[in-house]
Amino acid sequence: MEHFNIVILVLLVITALLALRVKDLLSASMIFGIYSFLICLLWAEMGAVDVAFTEAAVGAGVSAVFLIATVYNTKRRSSD
Amino acid sequence: MKWLALLAVCATGSLLIYGVSDFPDWGSANSPANGGVEGAGASISEVFIEETETLTKVPNIVTAVLADYRGYDTMFETVVIFAAGMAIFAIIRVMRDTEQTQDKTQLDSSVDGDHQRIIVGTTCRILIPVIQLFALYVVAHGHHSPGGGFQGGVILGASFILIGLAGNLETAMQRFSEKQFVSMACIGIFIYAGFGLLGQFLGGDFLEYGVLQKVLLTDGEPMARSHSMLGVEIGVALTVTAIMFAIYANLASKGELKNGL
Amino acid sequence: MIQETIITIISALFILAGLIFFLGAAMGLLRFPDFYTRMHAAGKGDTLSSLLVVLGFAIYQLHDFTSIQSDWPVILVIFKLLAICTFIMITSPTSTHALMNAGWEDDIEPEVKGKEANDLAKDFPEK
Repeated sequence: MEHFNIVILVLLVITALLALRVKDLLSASMIFGIYSFLICLLWAEMGAVDVAFTEAAVGAGVSAVFLIATVYNTKRRSSD
Repeated sequence: MKWLALLAVCATGSLLIYGVSDFPDWGSANSPANGGVEGAGASISEVFIEETETLTKVPNIVTAVLADYRGYDTMFETVVIFAAGMAIFAIIRVMRDTEQTQDKTQLDSSVDGDHQRIIVGTTCRILIPVIQLFALYVVAHGHHSPGGGFQGGVILGASFILIGLAGNLETAMQRFSEKQFVSMACIGIFIYAGFGLLGQFLGGDFLEYGVLQKVLLTDGEPMARSHSMLGVEIGVALTVTAIMFAIYANLASKGELKNGL
Repeated sequence: MIQETIITIISALFILAGLIFFLGAAMGLLRFPDFYTRMHAAGKGDTLSSLLVVLGFAIYQLHDFTSIQSDWPVILVIFKLLAICTFIMITSPTSTHALMNAGWEDDIEPEVKGKEANDLAKDFPEK
């Protein structure tokens, strides 16, 4: 299972960097959702099911909606 | 400005990495949490793992630790969520009446009124009761399976957000108005703090659930602790549900609570 | 023993079929020319393959099933997996439809040979 963890961790770093690099804020919030699901998978795999459940509900479910609602009412392109 | 921010991030990051070097080794049996401090008896992990089931009759140790052993911490976590919701209200809620430019036909909230959304509306009608039922199951079954007040509350709030996303914000606000969700957020914290105060009135400490057995009519302290945890989780769930929907409603409608997304 | 082998093989077939459809969905997502055909590949392939994989899991649960008195938790797990199947079947096509509709409202033009071939435009004369 060690290798599986390492794969998820590498993907986590990639998605985190991608979410920072992307200019389109809507894409960035979608990538943040992927990040949340990956870390949820990692926690579930490590046996912390309660934390994984919270991450799936809060991180991937609700906060993505909050971010999209915010992007919708502000501007969509990031300046940096 | 960008470089200043980078500098601040790098400084914080290096401080955090420096702090990690003080941690015990990964999976070490001699860390304070696992092996205990010398001359102080069994470690805290051992106590939780061995005695939670007998002391509180709750199989899910995570819930027991969250709602009972460190209930004080969880109470203020709930207050933090409440404060976050109130901050959103303070920053973006617009209190003055904006003129109603939209005519009524555009605000038709029925599924048939907006024929583009028939499919999405019907699916949400089928699914939302199931989602809400699952949320209540997660709250009520948090002792025995993963879950609890936070998760269940978030799922329950998400079901109301789904009503707002599938139809429009008015449809959701008819079911869960501003007055209702603000008062519900307060009631949740009052339930939590009330369980704490009730213990004090009965001669125990704040948030000591064991003494509640006279009020909750249970046989023995463990069952009283178990039932109090359920009550506390319900309080957390009420606050989280209300605040999640409040944040969405304010963000989606620029604080006017009408004509959202 | 024979029952265990047969059920494992059947569930493995289901999961493999699901994975093949996943591969098709991924290839369609990469290879198709425009937004709508890509969504078509993703939506259809994703729904069917998730269904097949979860059904394979549900069948695999039966591999050491002997009697309902001793193995009722297995039935519970199967029931939950079938519930997941139902929800995937309801939600996945709906989300595909919602995404497609959002794309259409956002004026994403489908790739067509000649302007007449796009019949969808006739259904929405207001555009």
